[in-house]
Amino acid sequence: MKPIIELRNVSKKIRNKQIIDNLSFKVMAGEVLGFLGPNGAGKTTTIRMITGLMKVSSGEIIINGTNLKQDFEKAISQIGAIVENPELYKFLTGYENLMQAARLYKGVTKEKINQVVEMVGLKDHIHNKVKTYSLGMRQRLGIALCLLHDPKVLILDEPTNGLDPAGIKEIRHYLRKLAHENNLAILVSSHLLSEMEMMCDRIAIIQNGKLVNIQRVKEEEVKTRPYFIQVDKITSALNILQDAGYEANPHEHGIEVYLEKKQVPEIIQQFVQQNILIYEVKVISKSLEDRFLEITNDKAVTSHA
Amino acid sequence: MLNLVKNESVKLLKRPSTYIMIALIVVGTILFGFLTQWLHSNSKNDSNNDWKQGLQQDIELYEQEYENTNEEWYKNWMESQIAINQYRIENDIPPSYVDYSMWSFIDESSLMITFVGLFVIIIASGIVANEYSRGTIKMLLVKPYKRWKILLSKYITVILSLLFLLAILFITAAITGALFFGLGDTNAVYLTYENGQVIEQSLLLYLIKLYVLSSVSTLLLATMAFMISAVFRTSGLAVGISIFLLLVGPIITSNLANHFEWTKYTLFANTDLMQYLEGTVLMDGMTLEFSLVILAIHLILFLAISFYLFNKRDVSA
Ligand SMILES: Nc1ncnc2c1ncn2[C@@H]1O[C@H](COP(=O)(O)OP(=O)(O)OP(=O)(O)O)[C@@H](O)[C@H]1O
Ligand SMILES: [Mg+2]
Repeated sequence: MKPIIELRNVSKKIRNKQIIDNLSFKVMAGEVLGFLGPNGAGKTTTIRMITGLMKVSSGEIIINGTNLKQDFEKAISQIGAIVENPELYKFLTGYENLMQAARLYKGVTKEKINQVVEMVGLKDHIHNKVKTYSLGMRQRLGIALCLLHDPKVLILDEPTNGLDPAGIKEIRHYLRKLAHENNLAILVSSHLLSEMEMMCDRIAIIQNGKLVNIQRVKEEEVKTRPYFIQVDKITSALNILQDAGYEANPHEHGIEVYLEKKQVPEIIQQFVQQNILIYEVKVISKSLEDRFLEITNDKAVTSHA
Repeated sequence: MLNLVKNESVKLLKRPSTYIMIALIVVGTILFGFLTQWLHSNSKNDSNNDWKQGLQQDIELYEQEYENTNEEWYKNWMESQIAINQYRIENDIPPSYVDYSMWSFIDESSLMITFVGLFVIIIASGIVANEYSRGTIKMLLVKPYKRWKILLSKYITVILSLLFLLAILFITAAITGALFFGLGDTNAVYLTYENGQVIEQSLLLYLIKLYVLSSVSTLLLATMAFMISAVFRTSGLAVGISIFLLLVGPIITSNLANHFEWTKYTLFANTDLMQYLEGTVLMDGMTLEFSLVILAIHLILFLAISFYLFNKRDVSA
């Protein structure tokens, strides 16, 4: 895997206000990276810089090996993007909107246009004026517009904005499919964590223009995880674990210990041999949600202080 | 680049407002034809048979005036009129009102170029600003074209729409004129007075020149509207200022011209290139080359500001 989008120490100042502060991250081919942050965190601003709508104050943006600033046309031709809402020409039909875009890229064939129309399920309405479209249909047309030229990169700012649950599910399905089957690098932003968790492979949390955390959504990848074990003899249980070299601490009515999955039965066996009664064993999963709330609350407190 | 211009043209041609503009030009010209015919049928009686006598009377009138006035431009104008009238009498070339035809009507319809100007200013004011107000600018700027190319394609489209509307006016005037007043003399000539000599020109060529040169002020104002809308990203202000100047600019300028020498460096003193075709200039020391230089400076300034800001600014609409 190689990075398709790469931000290196990107900063943005608008009228002496630091909107984005030294942001660096990469999006690989074949992955969906979620860009998560509360309102005003700087998600849209970052996306505007990646799409060339805003210029960076400092730092570099590399798209598939091409520096955006040095060769704008080459870099941008590999991107399909919707910044905020898909803005369409309402007095044109869906098809005419697609033609507007098709004319501006090399090698977009009629078949390709029909194929994307089919894919987003707009076949029956494509010759109607866009002003007659529902919000969901506009989002679909927006996605079709982005995919016409087979981009390497897809950037969507709040793509599920205004969609019903079925629509959200469908978008999720497209995006995962495009990343995993067509090997696109996809960046989506949102301030809804639950949505991101289902859609993304990794999530980057941004707050006040700074990257605070970036992590995989699937926790299986993490080797050791914290387990809570409720026992009757806390001290002897702790001693056994600490002697065996585990990182263990007392917890309310039990202990907290970092284990790999395959170590769990071994530990239980040992406890049973030592006549320690086990009432409960469970993973203490610090969910992304906890982390997100933790981060945003912390920051909210500090920013009020 | 060609595809960018094509996209812009499609966007214009799919708007109802464009068709309203075309319809207004066509209908306006036809109404003007009716009006002209009505005026002519009313004045048929004052026979034009003795047009030579009429011209001779004019000459005598001008000669008297000539003695009584000190206005330099007025003297020049009368001098040219006297020369042309004499040439007509000597060479038996009647003035256009004697044999009113399609040609004369096309000539008079050039008054309608102000309408064309109005419409082109509206187009120029909207072509950038509308993308901002619709938000579509974001979709446009993420296409693989540098910003200056996108702006240039829009400017080219403004010029094309000016030429297109002018052609519509010219053709409508020709058809209306031919239907109402007949084809007239196809070899008709147009007389001008240059460097103390009367010169014969092809009438068709003269009329095309007339239309193109009359549109120079429109082009400059449309460019100014284009600049204002690129700077402020809204069309209202651009339409307002430009149309105001289109209508009152020339009046203000000719008033100023009587008092201040510097007026000749202003835009409106130079937009009327017809003054050189007709051999009568607004102020002393003005030549075609001088006006072209002043116009070019304005044009370059307007475009430089537009392109500089359009390139540089962040888009957060
Ligand atoms: N053109 C601008 N001028 C000044 N400040 C701006 C401008 N654009 C954005 N900002 C500020 O930058 C910060 C980040 O805004 P941005 O739109 O990137 O947030 P966001 O993460 O997309 O938020 P949301 O979830 O509400 O869409 C905000 O504090 C905003 O006020
Ligand atoms: Mg946003």
